[in-house]
Amino acid sequence: MHATEFLLPTRFGTGGLGGCYAPETLMQPLLDLEEAFRMALDDPSFRVELKSELRHFVGRPTPLTSATRLAAKFGLQGLFLKREDLTHTGAHKINNAMAQALLARRMGKSEIIAETGAGQHGVAAAAACARLGLKCTVYMGVTDMARQAPNVARMRLFGTKVVPVEAGQGTLKEAVNEALRAWAARCDKAHYILGSALGPHPFPTMVRTFQTVIGEEARAQMLEQTVSLPDAVIACAGGGSNGLGLLVPFLGDDLHRFAVEAGGHGSALGEHAARLDGGRLGVLHGCKTLLLQDQHGHTAETASISAGLDYPALGPELAALALDGKIEVLRASDAQALEAAQWLCESEGILPALESSHALALLPELAKRGFATVLLGLSGRGDKDLSTYQSKLGI
Amino acid sequence: MNKLLPFIMAGDPSLAALPQLLAEAKALGIEALEIGLPHSDPIADGPVLQAAAHRAIQRGATPLRVLEMLAGLTESPDLILFTYLNPLLQIGADRLLDLLWPTPVKALLVVDLPDSEEAEFEAKLRTAGFPMIPLLSPTTDIERAKGLLERRPDPGPGHPFAQRFAYVVARLGVTGTGDTTDLAPVRERVAALKAISDRPLAVGFGLSDSAAMAEVRAMGATPVIGSALVQALANGGGLVDILRSRMNG
Ligand SMILES: Cc1ncc(COP(=O)(O)O)c(C=O)c1O
Repeated sequence: MHATEFLLPTRFGTGGLGGCYAPETLMQPLLDLEEAFRMALDDPSFRVELKSELRHFVGRPTPLTSATRLAAKFGLQGLFLKREDLTHTGAHKINNAMAQALLARRMGKSEIIAETGAGQHGVAAAAACARLGLKCTVYMGVTDMARQAPNVARMRLFGTKVVPVEAGQGTLKEAVNEALRAWAARCDKAHYILGSALGPHPFPTMVRTFQTVIGEEARAQMLEQTVSLPDAVIACAGGGSNGLGLLVPFLGDDLHRFAVEAGGHGSALGEHAARLDGGRLGVLHGCKTLLLQDQHGHTAETASISAGLDYPALGPELAALALDGKIEVLRASDAQALEAAQWLCESEGILPALESSHALALLPELAKRGFATVLLGLSGRGDKDLSTYQSKLGI
Repeated sequence: MNKLLPFIMAGDPSLAALPQLLAEAKALGIEALEIGLPHSDPIADGPVLQAAAHRAIQRGATPLRVLEMLAGLTESPDLILFTYLNPLLQIGADRLLDLLWPTPVKALLVVDLPDSEEAEFEAKLRTAGFPMIPLLSPTTDIERAKGLLERRPDPGPGHPFAQRFAYVVARLGVTGTGDTTDLAPVRERVAALKAISDRPLAVGFGLSDSAAMAEVRAMGATPVIGSALVQALANGGGLVDILRSRMNG
């Protein structure tokens, strides 16, 4: 395989976000990856294989659950939860990880490199690699390893090597730095499974493509269960993979689309991960997008109780859709997310991930704005966050 | 032929020491030198240059302060500003040109900027006399190399080495001292590149000892000393001592 140019669009929206700002060493691997991705999508046998893995291993389709008690609490007519928390490994991340692992195998790569923040992508990549017999190495910041310890243990049980990243704040940004470096060193043998709709082309497009199964299923399930579409669709946004996965299939519909960022514990730079208000266009990790940065173009520190949302850049496609007015981006604070997690536990018997709780936290706001029925992406389950819930909620 | 292309990180060991280091390099006969503008997220750098960048940032070596410190320096080799795109993009092409004019900077090497991505920005700098140096890596095959060299052309023999050379990345991965880089494949790549271009070549990433430097010179290319120099300077070594032994052979 030897692609010489990209054939898919590399840019998003009127601002031309995205692109491929990669070191030369990674350019040929990225060109080859785009070609492999295009060929796989055109190959019925790949689609059959992926569909079968999603059904029999991942557990798709995931249910759409009507959350009537929680809806009533806020005076919503209907609230529907797209249950990515019920996938194998417990978050939407497995949709993309499994698809890219299959792609890597097609490309003849025997090793996988991945980064992880909350650990959900790392666990998903580890599980997919165990199933396909690929060697897997996951880079994870030391802060995240401490706050998402159960996921570190799960990765190790699946035979994955977890490499602690000490640099900086020890969170997702540093993990991506280290994964990119590792990929540059091993790009002849390894495929890098990026876990969100981030990074240089073709990653944002590829990850979004593998995640839109969420919204496609949810749209059909809404029509089946309620005979109509919701008034609003909402998801949380770290890099933006579950958000795009849920929202993109609704872009042609006359309804409101929301993505929720981490408001952290304050509005000053360094106290949150709210890129829409706090960020400016810049380049990080291979793409141009909304970026939290200081006046010198150095990446700013971020803060969030949720490891999966604690990242300084919004994925370029989601940022472009936000800037072009197609998706509204809101924020929820640490405290709001913690409270929202309790609502779902007490009203519906479902323990959400801290990331997903950020979307739940905006339900009162949506009700206040007059939306009657809401579809919410429950991107993951909260088992990994039990120790945070225990210490913060005193239970 | 240019014997050695050193790399130092602006602001490490200190910004105040920079003019003195550059003057020493010039007195030693160094024609061109890469000067790193520290970035918070150096994705193509190994531990030594990462640490140097973070120390430099902590000591206040912002892009503006570095460029202001370089303004008006005459006792300096020609400089190649080695950095990542975002700090430059935030300054913007027009203001960046104003800042570059009074400095010894002659060209830029922006690790995460392929020639397709910011065409307008790059053209503005090139037209004003600040070309981007092309990088050629082990994953760059000869056809791709031809395209890269054409799109970032040699301004010609009337121009200094700093503006003419192409940078051959010796190994997969990031900058650093690490394991000794196997130079046999590099020799082949350099020969293949010389067959398609008259341009001067520099070879860097992973070279540290005098033997490796001599081996690169024997290929007809200029060796780059980066991490090994930065580490030695950080340990309190003197630039002249570190470079002198590596300039010959
Ligand atoms: C459960 C869950 N939801 C959401 C996210 C945020 O990522 P993205 O915005 O790519 O969906 C993560 C990331 O780790 C996650 O684990």
